Amino acid sequence: MKKMWKGNHAIAEAAMRAGCLFYAGYPITPQTEVGEYLSARMPELGRTFLQAENEMSAVYMIFGAYACGMRSMTSSSGPGFSLKQEGIGYLCANNLPAVLVNVQRWGPGLGSLDSSQTDYLRDTRGGGNGDYRVIVLAPNSIQETIDLIYNAWDLAEKYRNPVEILSEGSLGQMMEAVEFPEFKTREEDLGWTWDGTGRDHKKLESSAKPAATKAKIALMTENEQRWESFQTEDAEYIIVAFGLPSRSAKNAIKQMRARGEKVGLIRPISVWPFPYKAFEQAAAASPNLKGFISVESTDAGQLVEDVVIAAKKAKLGMLPVYGLFSGQHIPKSKEVIEFYEKVKDGTEKEVF
Amino acid sequence: MAVRMIPELVSRPHVFCPGCGHGIINRLIAEVIEEFGYQKKMVLTLGVGCSCNMNDNWSCDVLQTAHGRAAASATGVKVAKPELLSISYQGDGDAYVIGLAETLNAAYRNTPITVFIVNNNNFAMTGGQMSWTTMPGQVTATSPQGRDPKKTGFPIKVPEIIAGFEGVAYVARGSVHSVKEIHRLKKYIRNAIEAQINGEGYSMVEILAPCPTNWKLDVKKSIQWMEEEVVPYFKLGELRERSPR
Amino acid sequence: MEIVFAGFGGQGVLTAGLIVSEMALEEGKNVTWMPAYGPTMRGGKAYSVVKYSDDEIGCPDMEDIDILVAMNEPSLEYTSFLKDGGTVIVNTDNIPEDVEIDSKYHVVKLPCLEMALNVNNNKGTTIVAIGAMIHKCELFSCDLSKKVLYEIFASKGKEKYAAGNEAALMAGWNAV
Repeated sequence: MKKMWKGNHAIAEAAMRAGCLFYAGYPITPQTEVGEYLSARMPELGRTFLQAENEMSAVYMIFGAYACGMRSMTSSSGPGFSLKQEGIGYLCANNLPAVLVNVQRWGPGLGSLDSSQTDYLRDTRGGGNGDYRVIVLAPNSIQETIDLIYNAWDLAEKYRNPVEILSEGSLGQMMEAVEFPEFKTREEDLGWTWDGTGRDHKKLESSAKPAATKAKIALMTENEQRWESFQTEDAEYIIVAFGLPSRSAKNAIKQMRARGEKVGLIRPISVWPFPYKAFEQAAAASPNLKGFISVESTDAGQLVEDVVIAAKKAKLGMLPVYGLFSGQHIPKSKEVIEFYEKVKDGTEKEVF
Repeated sequence: MAVRMIPELVSRPHVFCPGCGHGIINRLIAEVIEEFGYQKKMVLTLGVGCSCNMNDNWSCDVLQTAHGRAAASATGVKVAKPELLSISYQGDGDAYVIGLAETLNAAYRNTPITVFIVNNNNFAMTGGQMSWTTMPGQVTATSPQGRDPKKTGFPIKVPEIIAGFEGVAYVARGSVHSVKEIHRLKKYIRNAIEAQINGEGYSMVEILAPCPTNWKLDVKKSIQWMEEEVVPYFKLGELRERSPR
Repeated sequence: MEIVFAGFGGQGVLTAGLIVSEMALEEGKNVTWMPAYGPTMRGGKAYSVVKYSDDEIGCPDMEDIDILVAMNEPSLEYTSFLKDGGTVIVNTDNIPEDVEIDSKYHVVKLPCLEMALNVNNNKGTTIVAIGAMIHKCELFSCDLSKKVLYEIFASKGKEKYAAGNEAALMAGWNAV
């Protein structure tokens, strides 16, 4: 039977069920409940919770543990997740899996505790020095958060690459009725881990890394695009939104469709790799497309850049791309409808 | 007559500078690990600095981590593999400057790992800049007039801080500037590693070592400077002895 | 359906939202509950937003409120989000009896704390308001409301409060 669960608690319980054996983290609002929950739950099942002295230490604890093959995770928000970037780069440089959770808060620096999506560009581009990508999955409901995190470790181990769950402050704090999957464990040896014997870790020579990185990014891009398309078939305008803004957008689209407006939605679930295939499908199915509208909780537009790239890849590069940027709050359905009307009557200028 | 072989763990040639202390320290640690029979039951976590050189000459599970974060990484190793020896090996710049938080906090939590920190009074790998252990008046690439403690503080004594933490298993400071101290140092290293094997808690040994290349002194003068300046300031000995069992 | 419970921190507006969420869930609805958190709840402004529907729920935040339960005077600012024809439950223990509210809204004024104290439940203030709201707006049956209210506290091992809570619920229920 479904029960009401808070988003952050659901992340933690889903991690338990996915076989996460080790969590290290540092308190920061609005994700602190993840660590609080695990500090009680991990020891119940003989697993390890460690409150680290800082965000870097937390990510390097995960680095050490996952080098030895233990399913591990860390989580944070805002400036805390910025501090982790060095360690995320080290995970990627060593081809180590890991599961990372960013429950986004608004703004640079201290910012505020408000829900937002202002970490989009950093997280989808790697975030640290060097050329690498993290698989970034952005749920828009608590059930989807559970489903994505439940498979995150399998995905991370498959590619020897970190997987990030990109949540939002309000998604972490709100409650919805959800169901959890059964507990699972990964018994088999991954083969390459540091087991104390000095065996081969299948590390690459520096000279082989550029080609290997390119190949790995291409493989993940090909295999791991996830998205939801809603009423895009005959659409004249397609709204692109992920996370909580996608819920407002879908709600708005239903209202507009009832009035005869031809609007559809592409909701990226994987924000890296970005779901280019969704745009290619839309290009084939919607000959009357007139433009894209990015709806996002950012200040000056971040997702909108990927919409432009995706449109270009789908040979729709000449179409205008508009942006509704709601800053510190989740855009409301009403705002989406008003914005659409301005796009339609020509009073809203395109961003690209 | 017994022949002392080079330990298998470090039988590959190292690339440290002539007169550097790391080679002796490497060998002593390797000898102790082999004496306990842990060479196939260990992960050696390296900091960034001259310790990076050890990626090539150690034939065991070596985990290269970031500058300053070795104690945190070695903590993760111990969580995942409590049955293995988890050792971090770092320099003073790594462990006492950029990584001071991680170094102190691993000790503060009494994490059951063993930490070796080589103190040669400078950032050696980057070409001899001032470290928190640089001696007053010592000329480095970033203290060209000699370190002025009024402006940059006095050399930091981290083992003394850690020895003040409740519960830690073992803390010592040794040196490689004389044969007598090398023999004492091996005893400290043995104590530190045995403390981890026995599950006694956190153990660390700071090791004073010469860096003739960056000190711009020949080996003999380097040893003389250690005897006259460094050793009197950084007192040698066991700062926290193991509890009798 | 969009309901906002608003008041001072400590008045129980988060729990009130949870109680109603559980009732909606029992009815088989999709439900979201969202609390004010962080900066919003500092300075005594606390609220929770409950939305339930047979359809998927969009934005979980305040959009177009059907019912506002105002436990203190500052909460009345959220009437700006209230739909025409919406309902305001006004707790007159913390809001002047003669407060002016636009006539386009249905208004129920009750001294919720006093009513809770009359049934010897000094923590039942918001439950009184819930009882009045459910009856006035015909949200759920009386039996379902009582059953869910009982189960929420029983599931936390707090059966001893069951009688007091039901009394508070019914005090509100019978006052409208």
